[in-house]
Amino acid sequence: MSAIIKKELKNYFLSPIGYVVIGIFLIAFSAFFYLTSVASSEINLTYLFYYTALYGLMFIAPLITMQAIAGERKSGTDQLLMTSPVSIVNIVIGKFIAAMILIIIPVIFTLMYFAILAHYNLPDIPTYLTSILGFLLLSMTYISFGLLASSITESPIVAAIVTFAIVFASTWVPYFVSSLSGLSLMDMFIKFLYGTIDIKALVFFITATVLCLVITIILMQRRKSVG
Amino acid sequence: MIEVKNFTKKYGNFVAVDNISFVVNDGEIVGLLGPNGAGKSTTMNAITGYIEQTDGEITVNGYDTIKRSKKSKREIGYMPEGTPLYMDLTIKEFVTYMAELRKVNRKERKAKVQEVIEKVGLSDMQNKLIKNLSRGQKQRVSLAGTLIGDPKVLILDEPTVGLDPKQVTEIRSLIKELGKKHTVILSSHILSEVSQICDKVIIINKGKIVAEDTPENLENKTSNSNIVYITIEDPENKIETMKDKINGIKNIKFIEELEDKTKKYEITANKENEDLRKEIFKEFAKEGITIFEMKKPEATLEDAFMKIIGEGGKK
Repeated sequence: MSAIIKKELKNYFLSPIGYVVIGIFLIAFSAFFYLTSVASSEINLTYLFYYTALYGLMFIAPLITMQAIAGERKSGTDQLLMTSPVSIVNIVIGKFIAAMILIIIPVIFTLMYFAILAHYNLPDIPTYLTSILGFLLLSMTYISFGLLASSITESPIVAAIVTFAIVFASTWVPYFVSSLSGLSLMDMFIKFLYGTIDIKALVFFITATVLCLVITIILMQRRKSVG
Repeated sequence: MIEVKNFTKKYGNFVAVDNISFVVNDGEIVGLLGPNGAGKSTTMNAITGYIEQTDGEITVNGYDTIKRSKKSKREIGYMPEGTPLYMDLTIKEFVTYMAELRKVNRKERKAKVQEVIEKVGLSDMQNKLIKNLSRGQKQRVSLAGTLIGDPKVLILDEPTVGLDPKQVTEIRSLIKELGKKHTVILSSHILSEVSQICDKVIIINKGKIVAEDTPENLENKTSNSNIVYITIEDPENKIETMKDKINGIKNIKFIEELEDKTKKYEITANKENEDLRKEIFKEFAKEGITIFEMKKPEATLEDAFMKIIGEGGKK
């Protein structure tokens, strides 16, 4: 599995995707840091995470995962992967971890903003940590959506569009369909921004992620026998 | 050893491969031959574990390709059709990645990678990006990826397709060399290639095995052994009378007149396997017909292939 993680990360930075993703994150972090903290003199990084999740992650997640499985199928390199003595479970988890690392890198950069604020007044550390936790949980869910979408098509573009559609719907549909209210991923994420760990939301994010990864694995396994 | 027993693969209602069985012994080079869509790649994909069979059983060196897929995959080096590669990696990076996937011991990895790159003759360009390589070089990179981890079995899907004649010769001799230490299955639709490299040929058509034999036997089986071609100088046109003079002749067919006024004929004997050459030589000389050339038709795998596929089609 480490071979796959290493290779995926290498691929992110051999293609522009890795730089574009980190670039977008840093621009979003900086812009929202200025708008929500500097301009309004708030000693608080909560909004930075909120707005980056809302306006950044939605576009970045599809970008990260679009190539993951669809790209390999398109170029035929999945034949190399699937005929090597590495199980499908390891292939999918390897790709998932690599994608998460690509998100964790810019999140580490937010320490910089934390340090800047700390220079004036120490922000609430638990809030900062739960915000990161919530941000990563939301990312995990989006990435698993992306991998699932990438496994159902041979076209990376289609994979990206499908991922975006799922992410978009999971954020906004619950606001308009009353029977789904409370299921908005964004609402669940917001709970982490107040410095508490919401168990219900935590379980929901993890369950959704595992479920999507399991379906991805089943679909890839099924393709071997169905074609 | 590879054992394929009653292997069937269906895609929906379409039967891609229909109940085929064959055995490839250790150290054998076996060629899978057949027109496009015959089921060659499907068979190879099932052996390598890329797909799973609808029915039947495949074992590689005793390991079932489904129940013990990890083990069976470690026995195999696979070069898929069209040599898919990671274009953004260098040759060395690619082979190293394949080595990692194939779980080559970390300590030996560097040396093994160098070893296979050298074997395929790419040492001097190992830091070049794969996307900048020529077709033949890419084929070699793919072969290097196949060889890493010392698999006992090599499965090569159309290894020479799209190469220029020089590269084809090079890859072929490389495969022949590899065949000394490995069990090899290769597919091709180039018949001369298979007859040069392989110990055994399996001809597949429409998902079924239509013939399985050595290339020589296949050629012999299908050659037209009662035919002789002659080129003669015959100004008095005595050839017409020769049919009556030699009993064994069934038919004499004019083929063409060559530039030097000699004529080419096809002579068919009455019986299968009857060799008329001796008699023709004697009798023609008596009549003053000069023989410039006389030969039996060369049986090629091409003929065998067409004949067998043709028969299969009629059935």
